[in-house]
Amino acid sequence: MKTKKKFNKYMLVSIVSVAVGIFIWWLVTAGLGLVKSNILPAPDTIVRTFIKKLYDPNPEGGTLFVHLLSSLRVALSGYGLGVVLGIPLGIIMAWYPRIEMTVRPVFDLVRTVPGVAWIPVMVSLAGIGLLSKALVIFISAMVATVINSYSGIKQTKEVHLWVGQTFGASNWELLTQIAIPSALPMIMTGCKIALGQAWTTLVAAELLASTKGIGYMIQQARGIYRLDIVIVGMIVIGLTGAALTGIISLIEKRVLKGGKY
Amino acid sequence: MATFWNKNGRKFAYGACGLLLFGLIWFLATNGTELGKILPDPVTVLRKFFVSFAEPIGTKTMVFHILTSLRRMLLPYLVACAAGILLGVVMGWYKPLEAIVKPYIELIRPIPPIAWIPLSIAWFGFAEMSKYFLIFLACFPTITINTYSGVRSVDETIVRAAKMLGARDSQLFTTIVMPSTVPYIFAGLQVAIGSSWATIVAAEMIRSSEGVGWLIISGQETSNMPQVLVGIVAIALTGLVLVSFMRLLETKLCAWNERGQ
Repeated sequence: MKTKKKFNKYMLVSIVSVAVGIFIWWLVTAGLGLVKSNILPAPDTIVRTFIKKLYDPNPEGGTLFVHLLSSLRVALSGYGLGVVLGIPLGIIMAWYPRIEMTVRPVFDLVRTVPGVAWIPVMVSLAGIGLLSKALVIFISAMVATVINSYSGIKQTKEVHLWVGQTFGASNWELLTQIAIPSALPMIMTGCKIALGQAWTTLVAAELLASTKGIGYMIQQARGIYRLDIVIVGMIVIGLTGAALTGIISLIEKRVLKGGKY
Repeated sequence: MATFWNKNGRKFAYGACGLLLFGLIWFLATNGTELGKILPDPVTVLRKFFVSFAEPIGTKTMVFHILTSLRRMLLPYLVACAAGILLGVVMGWYKPLEAIVKPYIELIRPIPPIAWIPLSIAWFGFAEMSKYFLIFLACFPTITINTYSGVRSVDETIVRAAKMLGARDSQLFTTIVMPSTVPYIFAGLQVAIGSSWATIVAAEMIRSSEGVGWLIISGQETSNMPQVLVGIVAIALTGLVLVSFMRLLETKLCAWNERGQ
C-alpha cells in the first residue's frame, strides 16, 4: 500500500514536469514570442500540423499515412529478410567450429561498417527505389541478429550438453533441443536490437535518397523551413519505433513462456 | 603449448581461407562482368585505399579525413559522457529528480539521432555545431540510461548493511554505488561510441566538405565507385579501432569485473 502511494506521488511529479516543460515551450514560442516559428514552432502548432498532415498531402506530396506506410514497407521487408537469414546464420556459425573459423573474419569486417555507409553502394546497384533501401536495412538488421544468435548459442551451458550426450543425443538433437531453446532469449534480444537498427537506417536512407517516406518528408520540410512538419515527422518516427519494439516484446513474451531470462 | 599453436594455426588458416574466398568471389563477380561496370574489384579498392594515404582525395589525404571525423566526434562524445554519467548517477540516487528528468529522456530516446539532422541543420546551419549537437544526442540518452540502471541495480542488501555499519552517504556512494555502476557505465560508453561513429558518418553524408562520410557521398555523386568503397574500408577500420580501444580501456579499468575479462 505504501509503495503504491509513493509510486503515484512520483508519477504526479513526472506529469507535472512534462506539463511545465510544454508550458515553457509554449511561453517562449507563442506566448511571449521570444523564439520565431522558423526556429522552434509552438506546441499547439505542432498538434495542428499533425492533425492537418493526416489528410493533407501538401506541401511535399503525401499524407502522413502514405509516408508512414511507405517507410514501414521498406523497413519491414528488409528487416524480415535480415532476421530470417540472420538467425540461422548466427546459429550455424556458433555450432559448427569450421564454419565459424571461416566466416567470422569476413563477418567481422562487414559488421564494423555502419548501415548508413552502404547506402551509396546500394543506390548505385539498385537505384533509389524500395530495393536499395531494403538491402541496406537487410544488412544492418542481419548483423545484429547474427551477433545475438551467435552469442546465444555460445552461452549454452556445457553441463546441459553433457547431459544430452550422456543420454545419447545426436549432434542435431543437441542443437535443436538444448542449444536453440536456451539461446532463444538472446535471439529475441537480437530481433529487438535489429529492429532499432533497421528503423534508424531507414530514416538515414530516406534522408539521403528517396521520393517518399517519413525521412523524405522531414528532409523536404526542412528545405522549405516548415519545422512544424519536421517535428511532427520526428515524433511519428519515435512513436512508430517504440510501437514496433513493443510488438516484438509482446511476441517475445509469447515465445518465451518458460522461465525468466 | 603445442595444442595452443595447433588450435590458433587452424583458426588462422580457416580465417585466411574465408577472407580469400570472399575476395575471390568478389573478384570473379566484378572482373569483366556486367556488375564490374558498377562495382570495382577488390584489388583496385585495396590499392586505392593505400594510395589515398599519400595522394589526396578531394583536397586532403585520407589521414586528414579520418582525423576530421574523429575530431568532430570526440568533443561532443566527451561532453555527453560527463553530462550523461553525472545525470545518470543523480537520477539513480534521488527519486524526485528521476521523476522530473526521466520522462524527457524516455521521450527523446526512441527518436534515432539521425532523425535530428534536419532540425539540427535548421538550428545551427551547416556549421560544426550542428554535428556536435547530433553526436551529443546520439550518446547522451544511452549513457544516462545505462548509468542510471547501474545505480538502480546496486544490491539493496549491501547498501543496508553499509548503512547499519554507519557509512555516510558519501561513503556509500564511493565505496558501494560507484564500483558496481562502472561496468554499466562502460557498457553505455561502448554502445555510444558505436552509434556516434555511425551518426557522424550519416551527418557527413548529408552535408559536409570533408571527413569519411563525405568521401563516400562525393564518390557517389561523381560516380566514383572505388572512392565509395575506399571510404567504407576507412569507416570500417576506424570503427574497429574505436571499439577495440574502448574494450581495451574497459579491460584495463575494470579488471576485477567479469564483463571486462
